[in-house]
Amino acid sequence: MIQVDNITKQYGSFTALHEVDFSIRKGEFTAILGPSGCGKTTLLKLLAGFMEPSSGSIHMDGQLTASKNRLVPPEERNIGMVFQSFALWPHMTVYEHVAFPLRHHRHTREEWKEDIVARVQQVLRMVGLEPFFDRYPAELSGGQKQRVALARAIAPLPDVLLMDEPLSALDIELRMEMRTEIGRIHRETDASVVYVTHDQGEALAMADKIIVMNNGRIEQIGSPEDVYTRPQTAFVASFVGKCNLIKGQWRNQRFIPSAFPWETWPDIGVTESLKKQGLCPVRPEQWNVSGERGEGLKGTVLSVQYQGKEIHYIIEVENEKWTMHQSIFQPKYKIGDTISLSLKADEPVNAAAL
Amino acid sequence: MISHSSAAPEKRTEAPSFFSFFHPKKWFMAIGFLLVVLVFVVPVFRLVLLSVLEDGSWSAAHYSRILWEAATWTAVKNTLYAVAGSTVLSLALGVSMAWTMAYVNVRGKRWMQLFIFLPFIIPSYITTLAWIQFLGKSGPVFSLFGWAPNLYSMGGIIFLLGISHYPLVYLFTVDVFRKIPRELEEAAKTAGASRRHVLFKIVLPLALPGIAGGGLLAFLTNLDNFGIPAFLGIPANIRVLSTYIYEQIVGFGPSAFARAAVLSVLLGAIALAGTCVQGLLLKRSRVTETAPRDTLPRVYLTPIRQRMLEAGLWLFLALTSFVPFLVMGALSLIKAYGLPFRLENLSLKNYHYVFLEDAKTGSALWNSVSLAVLTMGICLVAGTALAYVRYRGGGLLPKWMELFVTIPYALPGTVLALCMIFAWMQPVPGWNPGLYGSVWILLIAYVTRFFVLQVRGSYTALLQVDPSMEEAARVSGAHGWVKWRRVLLPLLFPGLAGGALLVFLMVLTELTVSSLLWSTGSETIGVVIFNYEQAGYTTYSTAFASVLVLAILAGGLLFTAWGKWWERKVMKKQ
Repeated sequence: MIQVDNITKQYGSFTALHEVDFSIRKGEFTAILGPSGCGKTTLLKLLAGFMEPSSGSIHMDGQLTASKNRLVPPEERNIGMVFQSFALWPHMTVYEHVAFPLRHHRHTREEWKEDIVARVQQVLRMVGLEPFFDRYPAELSGGQKQRVALARAIAPLPDVLLMDEPLSALDIELRMEMRTEIGRIHRETDASVVYVTHDQGEALAMADKIIVMNNGRIEQIGSPEDVYTRPQTAFVASFVGKCNLIKGQWRNQRFIPSAFPWETWPDIGVTESLKKQGLCPVRPEQWNVSGERGEGLKGTVLSVQYQGKEIHYIIEVENEKWTMHQSIFQPKYKIGDTISLSLKADEPVNAAAL
Repeated sequence: MISHSSAAPEKRTEAPSFFSFFHPKKWFMAIGFLLVVLVFVVPVFRLVLLSVLEDGSWSAAHYSRILWEAATWTAVKNTLYAVAGSTVLSLALGVSMAWTMAYVNVRGKRWMQLFIFLPFIIPSYITTLAWIQFLGKSGPVFSLFGWAPNLYSMGGIIFLLGISHYPLVYLFTVDVFRKIPRELEEAAKTAGASRRHVLFKIVLPLALPGIAGGGLLAFLTNLDNFGIPAFLGIPANIRVLSTYIYEQIVGFGPSAFARAAVLSVLLGAIALAGTCVQGLLLKRSRVTETAPRDTLPRVYLTPIRQRMLEAGLWLFLALTSFVPFLVMGALSLIKAYGLPFRLENLSLKNYHYVFLEDAKTGSALWNSVSLAVLTMGICLVAGTALAYVRYRGGGLLPKWMELFVTIPYALPGTVLALCMIFAWMQPVPGWNPGLYGSVWILLIAYVTRFFVLQVRGSYTALLQVDPSMEEAARVSGAHGWVKWRRVLLPLLFPGLAGGALLVFLMVLTELTVSSLLWSTGSETIGVVIFNYEQAGYTTYSTAFASVLVLAILAGGLLFTAWGKWWERKVMKKQ
């Protein structure tokens, strides 16, 4: 449905995107995840048609929409967009915001064009803003503004809904609420969603598919569980899973850390590409911890951060610093304590099988 | 649901590469660039060319002849004295006023600001007229003290240039002061520095790029000014370069144009050099641009001192921006020049003559207003278009275009007027469309001169609108015109109108360019007032000027009120 082939985008001598290649199926919720400056916003602008790529092409529904010499402008595409700053027009009411794309969008259904009032009501009901139809943006709260932006984007029912960090301007509670809301609207409209974010929690929670980006390149494409548990690159391992990357050698499906050659660890689902690099990613929650006299590597607690539902430790092991998360129901350690670390090798068990 | 492998075979072949060559946008850009070069750059070249040609061949004869004349050097010397003196005065007034308004706890700053701007929006020749009345034989100073300083002198020129242009320095520096972080001063104080030390070691060095920028702007404006040295200097036989050029052209003579061209190249070179230095200084001071403005006072005076300072400030503002105009208005009501200001001598006779009997006034009003409206309209559309292209970051071409349209504004008005004569008398050698000698050359000259004001105004307005406003309209399906009408114009309107109003006011009261380009039937308001004054009809010129001042004030107030209304009603700002 959206086919991105070898897209490169250069600004002068700076290359924002390097040969990016992926496709998005109809109705799919795709998150583009990466740190700031990784090229994800550039990619979204290319998908919207605000600029043309330096090379490569984008096809939507089999039609060429962007290449070096050809650009279908955003106003002729079947898209909707939600902006980071909401981008509400201060001189229009909520009603006018939703009616605007119904009047001008090329792909609005004829029946909606004929009865705009009814469609606006329908959309406002969907986002829960019906009583606010005559308000101006200055008279709305942050969450309500976000809903207006969403309503404006979905009103003409576009095939593709582009979202540029839509929740980053909201406070944390509202963010959780809007996650559910956006998920519901995605199911109701059946549009393909491309959702740009730097928050891996949002991407993992909402997306069907995550595209992890760094320095203008795609690092990995996969389902949330794939990206989280089977990272293919060191960047994905540390950015998405917050992994400790331990150097060593893989021999016969067992890992020998180079700092502690006397240890061998089992394979806990490490991808081939990381094995080739001689890396073993260990997520902070994958450690088994016991006291000084327990089994495994010995380390010293450097810092303790109490987080409520869990405690975050930084452990120094042979001059390396590892992070470790422990449930508060487990024994607590203090700074300076010596502890023993080993890997949790348990396979995930499907709840239905119990 | 289409799987991604099945989408691939449907791909269309890419458009052939010559498509980009025929891209209409690129053609528009190229035509626009060519127009800008023709209108804004070529005239300057023709001026330079004329100064180095004699009888069709290259020659430095004009230069050597003029540079040997003592009169040239007297004019250069006078120019330097007048410009240097008035720049120092503007700097002293502007910087101390800016420092006070930025840092000291004085009440009523909003009103004070308004009065500081007054001499700025009223054309300097009208300010001069007002001061001539204020310090004249029938003015209040003379009748109170039996003596008044003589304005028709170098001192008078310096004084009027200085007080007319100190608002520029003020405008430039007040935000620089406000943006110097308060913590820097506090850090110096905790390190034991006295107040004087803080001012000279911390505040002034940090504000220096801004102050220098403001000073150079004042320098350029003083250099460019024609009205003040024309009203005060010509009767006293004091010539500066701008009036000297004017006299060359008005006096005709065999080589008038060539001589004027040489002098203009001299004056223009000084002005352009100043503009370049100012541009460099501005780049340096841009560091502070991102710092937030801190409008809370930093120096707290005791109540008694505060009252005294306030009284002093109001006295100064009343003297520079209010009383002279009041006196001018009052004296315009006197039947005959020289009569004492008494009830039985008052009448509306002068107004009756100016507005009902003299046909020239009516036609000048009509000319100036229609020129102002036309110039404003052309600049508004074309200037906003250029600003938009520049804002969208279309590469190097728009940047060059912006630089080019700045040149005619940076050049002194007399120089520009001369460029216009040379460029449009025979736009193509051998073909004279009769523009010079008609009102149309004024229109061309005004658009050329004030275009950049609208470009800057529109560009600033565009910068204040988040790009996502436009992008949201586009993804909602809005095409060019719908996007502008429904989204961009309502958001940009106050900013665009501000730039347009400035252009309108500038054209309406313009004197320098029109004093050289007018012809019978195409007089402007400025020219009529100037001619009244030159012919000795002081009461007529003051009557006309009084009406003009009132109109400008009314226009300014209406615009401010309308802007507030727009913010509240349309932009929904609380």
